[in-house]
Amino acid sequence: MGSVALRNIRKSYGAVEVLHGIDLDIKEGEFTVLVGPSGCGKSTLLRSIAGLETISGGDIAIDDRVINALVPKERDIAMVFQNYALYPHMTVAKNMGFSLRLAKEPQAEIDRKVRAAAEILDLTALLDRYPRQLSGGQRQRVAMGRAIVRDPKVFLFDEPLSNLDAKLRVQMRSEIKELHQRLKTTTIYVTHDQIEAMTMADKIVVMRGGHVEQIGTPLELYDSPASVFVAGFIGSPSMNFIPAHATGTTLETETGMPLGETPAPLGHNQQVIAGFRPEDIRLSDTGIPAKVALIEPTGAETQLTLRTDEASVIMTTRERVTQTPGGLVHFSVTPGKLHAFDAETELTLAGARQ
Amino acid sequence: MNEQPRTLYWVFLGFVGLVISLYVLFPVFWLFLASFKTQAELAQLPISFWPESPTLDAYKALFSPTHQKGQLLDWPQLIGNSFFIAISSTVIVLVFGTLAGYAFARLNFPGRDLILGGLLISRMFQGAALLLPTYRLMSMIGLQDSLIGLVLLYSAFGLPFATWIIASSLREIPKELEESAMIDGASRLQSMVMVVLPLATPALITASMWHFVGAWSEFAFASILLESNDNKTVTIGLASFVELFTLEFQYVGAAATIVALPIMLVFFFGQRYFTRGLLAGAVKG
Ligand SMILES: Nc1ncnc2c1ncn2[C@@H]1O[C@H](COP(=O)(O)OP(=O)(O)O)[C@@H](O)[C@H]1O
Ligand SMILES: [Mg+2]
Repeated sequence: MGSVALRNIRKSYGAVEVLHGIDLDIKEGEFTVLVGPSGCGKSTLLRSIAGLETISGGDIAIDDRVINALVPKERDIAMVFQNYALYPHMTVAKNMGFSLRLAKEPQAEIDRKVRAAAEILDLTALLDRYPRQLSGGQRQRVAMGRAIVRDPKVFLFDEPLSNLDAKLRVQMRSEIKELHQRLKTTTIYVTHDQIEAMTMADKIVVMRGGHVEQIGTPLELYDSPASVFVAGFIGSPSMNFIPAHATGTTLETETGMPLGETPAPLGHNQQVIAGFRPEDIRLSDTGIPAKVALIEPTGAETQLTLRTDEASVIMTTRERVTQTPGGLVHFSVTPGKLHAFDAETELTLAGARQ
Repeated sequence: MNEQPRTLYWVFLGFVGLVISLYVLFPVFWLFLASFKTQAELAQLPISFWPESPTLDAYKALFSPTHQKGQLLDWPQLIGNSFFIAISSTVIVLVFGTLAGYAFARLNFPGRDLILGGLLISRMFQGAALLLPTYRLMSMIGLQDSLIGLVLLYSAFGLPFATWIIASSLREIPKELEESAMIDGASRLQSMVMVVLPLATPALITASMWHFVGAWSEFAFASILLESNDNKTVTIGLASFVELFTLEFQYVGAAATIVALPIMLVFFFGQRYFTRGLLAGAVKG
């Protein structure tokens, strides 16, 4: 119960196409995160699955049944909106029980289900309050409660945490994940925040400009990004990129500094974009010379900004840093941690762990 | 530090308000007091302000239909007619104004914003200029001297503004609430009735009050369209009183008080919604 399949989904607003053929398979019980920069079509895709938007082409299926023509209430989904969309004139209990009331369930049954959901979400004491009397985090939980009392096949979340402050966001992130582990309901979760995606997802779908850029588990995307875009989007601080070319089996920067062994067989002098993550850099006696431009300790690790003749490179280290700003260092990329992307298409030529 | 000038400002404003109110309300109040006076007291000089021996004779006379100076004065009938017209047309305006307002606020159709703006403009072409054409039109379709005719006419006059107020306030209600209701299993009609309308109550009350008061106190169209005694309204009755009882002013006072009473009640009970509803409409549109 609760698998979702998208086949070549297209959506146009007037003459403008905003989804250009999305294919996606979501297994039952999976927590899938749609992530990508603002305006890439995440909400449009989610709302299409919900039935709030009519798609211009393709098929949406839940449990192998095509639901393109069904109105939202016939799709057996529940959705949590960014602004929660709680009914202001109803108490928390009424908000949570609204769908059951519409389904004409007996009042006793409604009460039982609402109380059970309130128990799970720690809302029992708030059942008689109105939304305006709740804090942001509590409203967020009521919105989730409204979704879970229905026991739908699929939960849809559209940036549910973006109206909360940073600390609450981290806390609710864990709560949502725990809730999913407990209920095991198929979940599609939209966010523009890659950290949310990394921490919560079983499967991440990276979107860009109405296309799917890459699909994979968080670590697959982290270790083997399919493009410069994914490599730069996933991970914080971002991957470093330097224009490079292959010389034999060595990848060299434009000025001839060796970065390491080519991650895949490349043509001689083939132009590529080399990529390496900040934590895959070591300071060493030999290697590429650079000036320490900035040292930013965060406690557990320290972030250094190194400036070479060609580029700025971010490095993170868990070791205590003895260098001082302005000092000269040499760095090298941990062997086997180098990525190479085609200079034209920006697609991966391979790299790092597969 | 600037506490002093501000207080002065408010005192001054209050004073001006008081003077204006007195100026406007004095004749109204005097008429109200006159309705409790006797004929003799009204005729005596010097004029007394407060009734010396307050009496309800004028009201009693109003509610026991009699021929006076050759004319039948049946106030229960007049009041009944006016209530019928005002309430029926308010219900019509509310129902159709809500449906139309919802369409303007939520559906996409060509020319939507133009038509919505047009609704407001149509209000400028009302009043005396329409009297004659309206009379001709109503005669042609056989609806002159008919309460139903007047109900339809007032509804037609009132709908544009009611639609506009309601549409403006529905636009303020987040779309997600309705989307959420639809996902929860509501049909469009259910989401409108169970989610949208409860939130639009101030606008609905404002539109109803506005229309009720207008219909209740309308005189010009009623007086040219209604002819038979059975069909007259309170405003026509009041006008004929002013002509009929130039000396017996207690009757005019009593009639005016009765005509004003429903309006005062409407504002008394509705004013907290009234300002909210008008403000909601004022922000957008
Ligand atoms: N109702 C609409 N009419 C026209 N264009 C829209 C509408 N909704 C969204 N868009 C456009 O579709 C694109 C994708 O929007 P959206 O799905 O909201 O992006 P995201 O949620 O990823 O930020 C954007 O370019 C946006 O401007
Ligand atoms: Mg969005």
